[in-house]
Amino acid sequence: MTILSIAFIVAGLFFLVVAAIGVIRLPDVFCRSHAVSLTDSLGAFLMLLGIAFYEGLDKNTLKILVVLSLLYILNPVIAHATIRAALRSGLKPWRKETP
Amino acid sequence: MALFVFWVLLSASFEWIHLCLGLVCSFIVAWINSGHSPFVPKSRLAVRVLLYLPWLFYKIVQSSLHLSKLILHPALPIAPQLMTVESRLNHHAAVVLFGNSITLTPGTITAEVDRNTLIVHAMDQELGEDLAGGKKEMETKIADIFRDVEPDL
Repeated sequence: MTILSIAFIVAGLFFLVVAAIGVIRLPDVFCRSHAVSLTDSLGAFLMLLGIAFYEGLDKNTLKILVVLSLLYILNPVIAHATIRAALRSGLKPWRKETP
Repeated sequence: MALFVFWVLLSASFEWIHLCLGLVCSFIVAWINSGHSPFVPKSRLAVRVLLYLPWLFYKIVQSSLHLSKLILHPALPIAPQLMTVESRLNHHAAVVLFGNSITLTPGTITAEVDRNTLIVHAMDQELGEDLAGGKKEMETKIADIFRDVEPDL
């Protein structure tokens, strides 16, 4: 059980680190928000799953599941709001061809 | 009525408590299946959405790995683009589910929704292909979920 939870947490950490690198490397707000959504969808999921396994089955697992489902509902809403605000305020997405 | 006979056959006991329980259960089952109960279409819809979620999760994992590969690639081979996705979904909830699924999948974000036209920001050609290209897998699945709901869009 502990090994399983460690494996999940390490995998989650991998995605969190990749997302952090992505936020730094990618060129504009649109691309960066993709990297951020990577954090929420897999990074946090694997981390919380690992923690849930580590805790064993009790009422804390239930709370973690509630957090997870809320995360999965809220994450697309926030990402969509950010991108729509950026688009409406006239920000042009970065393209490869244009300098 | 047939359900109640079936219950008596199966339980093979004629105590009052069993008979009453059987009567109540058969009435409930008959009521649910009669088409008068309010929650049948909705519950069917909920079951379909629940069956859709594992597939969505599989897509999330798939495109997460793809996006991680893009980010970690030394040359950063991204080609971000805005694309217009014209969907044939004709239901508010279906479009909401579609937009949410797009945003939840890393690499694609719904930027604007107007009736059933969505503006999607995609990270590269391959991620965008899933939505606007020939496959349209996600949209087909969602249209299938809502196949017997009356259109309201």
